[in-house]
Amino acid sequence: MGGGGRASFLLLVAPALLLTLAFYFVPLAQVLWISVTEPNPGLENYALLATSASIGRMLLTTARICVATTMVTLLLGYCVAFALTRATPSLRRVMMIGVLLPLWVSVLVRSFAWMTLLRREGLINDALLASGLIQQPLALIWNELGVVIGMVHIMLPYAILPMAVQMRQIDPALTAAARGMGASGFGAFYRVFLPLSLPGLLGAGVLVFIFSLGFYVTPVLLGGGRTLMIAEYISIQIVEVLRWGTGTMLATTLILAIFALLAMLSRAIDLRGLFGAK
Amino acid sequence: MTRTALTRRHLLGAAAATGLAGALPRSPRAAVPDVVLCNWGGDAVPAFTQAFVGPYEKATGGKLIIDPSGPSNGKVRAMVEAHHVTWDLCDSGVSGIGELGPRGLLEPIDYSIVDKSKILPAFGYEFGVVNYMFSSVLAWDTKVVTTRPSPADFFDLKKFPGKRMIRKDSQAMLELALIADGVPMDKLYPLDVDRALRKIGAIKSEILFWDTGAQSQTLLRSGEVSMGWLWNTRANLLKRDTKGRIDWSFAGGLLQPGLWTVPKGNPAGKQAMVAIAAMQAPAGQIDLLRAMGNGPANPAAAPPGDLTDIDPGSPANLAVQAKIDAAWYQAHGSEALKAFLDVISS
Amino acid sequence: MTRQGRASRVGAWTVICFLLLPITVVLPISLTDQDFLSLPVDHLSLQYYRKLFASAEWLSSIWQSLVIALGAAIIAVVAGALCAIGCWRRGSRASEAIRLLMLVPLIVPTIVYVLGLYRLWVRLDLLDTYTGIIIAHAVTAIPYVVIIVSTSLAGFDARLEQAARNLGASLRQTLWMVLLPNMMPALVSSAIFAFIHSWDETVIVLFIGGRAIFTLPRRMWQGINDNLDPTMAAVASVLIGVTIVLLAADLVLQRRRGR
Repeated sequence: MGGGGRASFLLLVAPALLLTLAFYFVPLAQVLWISVTEPNPGLENYALLATSASIGRMLLTTARICVATTMVTLLLGYCVAFALTRATPSLRRVMMIGVLLPLWVSVLVRSFAWMTLLRREGLINDALLASGLIQQPLALIWNELGVVIGMVHIMLPYAILPMAVQMRQIDPALTAAARGMGASGFGAFYRVFLPLSLPGLLGAGVLVFIFSLGFYVTPVLLGGGRTLMIAEYISIQIVEVLRWGTGTMLATTLILAIFALLAMLSRAIDLRGLFGAK
Repeated sequence: MTRTALTRRHLLGAAAATGLAGALPRSPRAAVPDVVLCNWGGDAVPAFTQAFVGPYEKATGGKLIIDPSGPSNGKVRAMVEAHHVTWDLCDSGVSGIGELGPRGLLEPIDYSIVDKSKILPAFGYEFGVVNYMFSSVLAWDTKVVTTRPSPADFFDLKKFPGKRMIRKDSQAMLELALIADGVPMDKLYPLDVDRALRKIGAIKSEILFWDTGAQSQTLLRSGEVSMGWLWNTRANLLKRDTKGRIDWSFAGGLLQPGLWTVPKGNPAGKQAMVAIAAMQAPAGQIDLLRAMGNGPANPAAAPPGDLTDIDPGSPANLAVQAKIDAAWYQAHGSEALKAFLDVISS
Repeated sequence: MTRQGRASRVGAWTVICFLLLPITVVLPISLTDQDFLSLPVDHLSLQYYRKLFASAEWLSSIWQSLVIALGAAIIAVVAGALCAIGCWRRGSRASEAIRLLMLVPLIVPTIVYVLGLYRLWVRLDLLDTYTGIIIAHAVTAIPYVVIIVSTSLAGFDARLEQAARNLGASLRQTLWMVLLPNMMPALVSSAIFAFIHSWDETVIVLFIGGRAIFTLPRRMWQGINDNLDPTMAAVASVLIGVTIVLLAADLVLQRRRGR
């Protein structure tokens, strides 16, 4: 777009930039520096990425669960966002209540609610057994499935809202025109609406994926202790065993990995065009 | 301390009589600095307050303030390194002195003020001294486990089917695994970590790991697990809450000390040691036992009959438990934790 | 209504039911007669509601959380939205870099950031203060705002803004009269997320808070080694109840206004 002079650009980004530089990046840099100074100066902490089998396994578990969570969340969230845009204003309000209400419930209470629902003698298994659909209780919690269920539940509002906001801007006349020119319902959706909704999908996907990487409470409370993900691992290094070099190294690696991921993504899709700079 | 206070009161009294009270400078030496005690909050706050705060204030005239923030190793290190220590005493443990001590983040305990005769000698360390005792014990759901299990039965999934529960921490879990595997209790250390992890790893798929005391209670109470290793304090509460449906035993358990530690550069200085000494009095420790199930650290403290059963340090219970070795944890603790987490998460 | 329309509606309501499922369990849990988090065993009990409204500590925690979350959300939304708009208008390499930079607070685990924050706050004497927590929460909430506002701007017709400028509008007028009204949904969404981020935030308050700052998450987490206080379920139920009442009132008002 190239609009807006340098002065107005700097004016607009100044508050956020100054705030985060002063109160986030400066203190963060000091902490991340520890990764190359503790326990000895040099890159020995980073070497752990290649040599430590346990770190490798932990990273794989994290990637697996976060990708699964993101995919499921985007799929389910897209349905809701799509329905939201087509709904009448009053119906939309009611649906929004359903989407936003869970945000009021703290993670602790939510995790306990899931425990009540998902455990062997929990409400869901009781209902399924009583209706004869299953013979043995299902293992819905204390495993990766439970973690994904819990995480998807938390992430859904964060996917639905950005997608719905962006979808609302798609001109309904476009899909109508496609139908008018003979496209089937699905065809119009697939060829016209879906591509137009891609920015929302990607924005939500980035938000959910990155957000889920930092997740600590839900995997701990719903995973039965077996799903060790990076946030918990880093926390143990920092809070318990005081291996601040390892912890900060992992944090730095996370940042670089996400940047690399976004760079790859931008090569596959024109991210700049996506976010508006035409 | 008391003499100075009396002298000051004397002076002030005389000054008041002559109307000069305001003009007298307050002697800084006479003011007893506040001692801030950091523990883990929850039930511990009213329990500690009732057991220790009143008696301390009566004995020294100073204030003892309970801060429920939870003295994690990371926070203590951050405080000390930033030269902004706000805690004088921390309710810490073996891992605390193991991680913080060697890094020079704790004040050495001043045993000229703290009385070494009022503790079990094994639990008076350079950087920490025992405040109360607790144990990691075996508990079971009597609905499913109908006969009293032995420590080894924890790993016998055929005899007592159902899931098991252990803490997501190597401390005490390794010892209990070795005891269950038949290692004599006085020959535990140095720990054969590989042997313990092999035992735990063998039934890994049937184990749930608890992170917090509340979780340990929930898992047993809700029937998710049929047997578990947890703290005696939690087991005690569980038995009471479930009216005996959950039962437990000290046999084959591990006695562990809670430890007072003093962060380096603490604001109240030596007064922290005075506070520790004050809390060595038996009466407060017995109150703590009654309120929370934490055993008295003072061997001279004689709990009344109804409490001896649940006192981890009572002679009968001491006989059936092993004692933790803090020196081993200082040298090998974080390695063992790493190996443990590795095994359970793969 | 097309076939997908109907299918998506069914799908959407299923997902919404999934979202509401744990919430329906929260209400019974808050009415438990036991000492610990559980479903009611013998009878329903209002003890935790009574405890909540009679407890100065829980009420003050709610108040502190409210003040801090509002402050943090306002700062985050204003700063974040302006930044997103600026980057969108500029579209240069520098603006891309800045937008990427704004994501970092979301990527880095808070426990790592908090080590550095602690040291800085000691120097600036902001430990255990409202200001200290509000700034930290605001700065870590900015990524939510930047992502959501950027996503929304992606579909925005740039020509509207260009037209305004061609008609002689200043930057401030363009912002106020053209961009902001169209961005309302995005701003509201990001405000909600920034608010909830602060409302639920635990790591920073546990580390930076002392005896003065005791927000709701701190109150819920402390004592977790002993017991989970069912009062937190009562808190959640009350918040949900209040929200439903407000939204129902809003619905009624809308209907009456004849929309």
